[in-house]
Amino acid sequence: MDILSNTVALSRMQFALTAIFHMLWPVLTTGMSIYLVIVEGMWLKTRNPDYYRHARFWSKLFVLNFGIGVASGLPMEFQFGTNWAPFSEAVGDFFGSILGFEGAMAFMLEAGFLGIMLFGWGRVHPAIHYLATIMVAFGANLSTFWILVANSWLQSPTGGEMVNGKFVVSDYFQAIANPFMVKSVSHMFFATLETSLFVIGGISAWYILNNRHQEFFARSLKIVLAAAVAVTPLQIYIGHLSAEQVAHYQPTKLAAMEAKWETSPAGQPADWSLLAIPDEAAQRNSWEITIPNGLGYILEFKKNLSEPVPGLKEWAPSDRPRMVGLIYYSFRIMSGIGFFLAGLMLWSLLQWLLGNLSAEKIAQQKWLLRTWIFAAPLGYIAVESGWIVRCVGRQPWAMYGEIRTADAASHLPAGEVLTSLTLFTVVYSILFVSTLYFGSRIIRHGPNLELPIPGLDGQPAVDTEPATFVPDQRPVEAQQ
Amino acid sequence: MDALLHFLPQVWFVILALFLFLYVMLDGFDLGVGILSLTSSDEERRSILMTSLGNIWDANETWLVLMGGALFGAFPLAYGTILSALYIPIFMMIFGLIFRAVAFEFREHSDRKLLWNFAFGAGSFIAALGQGFALGAVIEGIAVDAAGHFIGSIWDWLDWRSLLVALTLIQGYVLIGSTYLILKTEGELQKNHFRTAKLAAITTVTGAILITIVTPIVYEAARTRLLSPPLVYIFAVIPVLGVVLVGLLLRSLNQEEEVTPLIWTILIFLLTFIGLGLIVFPYIIPTQITIYQAAAAPSALVFMLTFIGVLIPIMLFYNIYN
Repeated sequence: MDILSNTVALSRMQFALTAIFHMLWPVLTTGMSIYLVIVEGMWLKTRNPDYYRHARFWSKLFVLNFGIGVASGLPMEFQFGTNWAPFSEAVGDFFGSILGFEGAMAFMLEAGFLGIMLFGWGRVHPAIHYLATIMVAFGANLSTFWILVANSWLQSPTGGEMVNGKFVVSDYFQAIANPFMVKSVSHMFFATLETSLFVIGGISAWYILNNRHQEFFARSLKIVLAAAVAVTPLQIYIGHLSAEQVAHYQPTKLAAMEAKWETSPAGQPADWSLLAIPDEAAQRNSWEITIPNGLGYILEFKKNLSEPVPGLKEWAPSDRPRMVGLIYYSFRIMSGIGFFLAGLMLWSLLQWLLGNLSAEKIAQQKWLLRTWIFAAPLGYIAVESGWIVRCVGRQPWAMYGEIRTADAASHLPAGEVLTSLTLFTVVYSILFVSTLYFGSRIIRHGPNLELPIPGLDGQPAVDTEPATFVPDQRPVEAQQ
Repeated sequence: MDALLHFLPQVWFVILALFLFLYVMLDGFDLGVGILSLTSSDEERRSILMTSLGNIWDANETWLVLMGGALFGAFPLAYGTILSALYIPIFMMIFGLIFRAVAFEFREHSDRKLLWNFAFGAGSFIAALGQGFALGAVIEGIAVDAAGHFIGSIWDWLDWRSLLVALTLIQGYVLIGSTYLILKTEGELQKNHFRTAKLAAITTVTGAILITIVTPIVYEAARTRLLSPPLVYIFAVIPVLGVVLVGLLLRSLNQEEEVTPLIWTILIFLLTFIGLGLIVFPYIIPTQITIYQAAAAPSALVFMLTFIGVLIPIMLFYNIYN
């Protein structure tokens, strides 16, 4: 096969494969770190032991995913050097620096606070422990921030110019604050949060449906639901803003997202394609369901387009993305999941307002709970689809408009890349299956509701070493 | 301005050397303990070894991530050239580290500890082997064209000299791991590690002596630099200091002291690092591309220095505190 001897294609596949797998772990830990901040805060505020046990229970899943996230992330950084050496040389001044910051700050988080968060219960003052939990969440999201800064800069490079094949930066802060940055960072921030919320909600629903610790998990489901009320609609809105910026800065990507071959002129309505079978050879859709006049409403909330929307035919085939069908359907899957999760939120909110989510009645909501279980993996699928749109849609550019992907790859023998790609496929599949296996073991085992409560029982929860125990200083009433 | 153009790459060369040294020392404990665990037939003992590292390995590994980022940002040309030239050893290291990491995570939840204990040991060994080959290849030099792009073959890194470096590094890791375990264990287990430490000290030193002899003989450029002042004086001192430190290490092991073997080992590694650093400097791809040729723009070096430079003291403080 041709592709097996094509180093660029193999290096791309390897990067895509490692990125798609790696992302599964930090997406959960980044979002879940915020949930852990919420439950620990509620524990400190109410001193209700359930919140403490929630913090302990979910942090088991957190740490499992965290370790695999660290391990699976290593090849991401090193691949820029091994497989994309010309790219590294061209963009290292900025891109490399940003990855360096990410490494330094991840260090602050991992070395400094994760240990306290996991092993510090009962050993350090509750306020210090809470600070550690907050710093872990802050660090995880800071990592997301720097990675998204680096990627956004590749989508919309600013702050300098290409000189003799090397990007010379004139203004680092302008490069950080590139046009894509704010919306992309926000979109990913809410994506990790939304994914984690529905994972936690889905697992909670599973327990309730199986008549295990119903009151305990009704609590987490409601926390998640309360957060989802704000997060799900906001994410749809930020997604819309992101599509607008794609339309403005990366028209080739927008055309591929909509499988749009012909240009629609300004001042007129245009149809919006709901489903289609794109035919790249013929440069048209061989089958299509369209919504008449829909495009204007989707892009600008009005019938007539104020600016022309170019079709793919405006560019030579070498200057526009390929795999149009993949981009087109990934975009629809991502958006579809966004609306589905918002709908689930509305349905659940309605039941909550009707009083049907109380600890006694919640188990009767069988279809609602089943839908939550069904929704648990959807966030991941949406995140992965979104990144496929973002990075496959950026092609043929590694750095949009500046460096072509074909010129960015190292000149390696295809056999080497094929070997490492095969190994990654095997190893990451094992990691994926093992995480599911051990994660489900943790879930089947369930929370430890016998766990001693630090500060209430007068004993530290972790008693492996002598610890300086600081009792709750507040009056007795406040401790109840 | 010219002074600044030289000064900044030098600063980053020193910072990178510091990161590399810290990584080798800190993850050296973990990797050494992992390699040692392969030689242990006793499951309980192996579990004790792994538990002693349970919550420090990922912090130690972060120095590698940080070093990668810093090399990428400060010397982009070298990052691409070295890593693509060392494609196989780098991925050996990465796969080894992945095995090591998941062994820690999954072992905790698994009933079949044996499998994951083996993944821990084998992963540590493969990672150390990859690092050793990479180090050996960098000392030997990488075939590049005038622009600094790799023009050699994908197996260039593999010969008897890089194998010698790799085996010596593995022995060195076993030495650090053993002296660390001497500090952390007691009784029969500790006695065992006095033995492994002694053995590793002897094999490490033998390897180091061979490398020290071979390097000036085989590499003309290194020979010229080593044998002309002022470096010749420094290189006359290093072996003497080395012999003294090895003597002190063996003495402390014979007298079964608990803390000092680790200290002497760290100092031996530091001395080796200074020696290597002086051989390599001012090249980043010996002996073709200097740090000045490979460096990012001065503005980039300053930019990174302001962010990462501020964090370095905090990170160092945390490590000492630990």
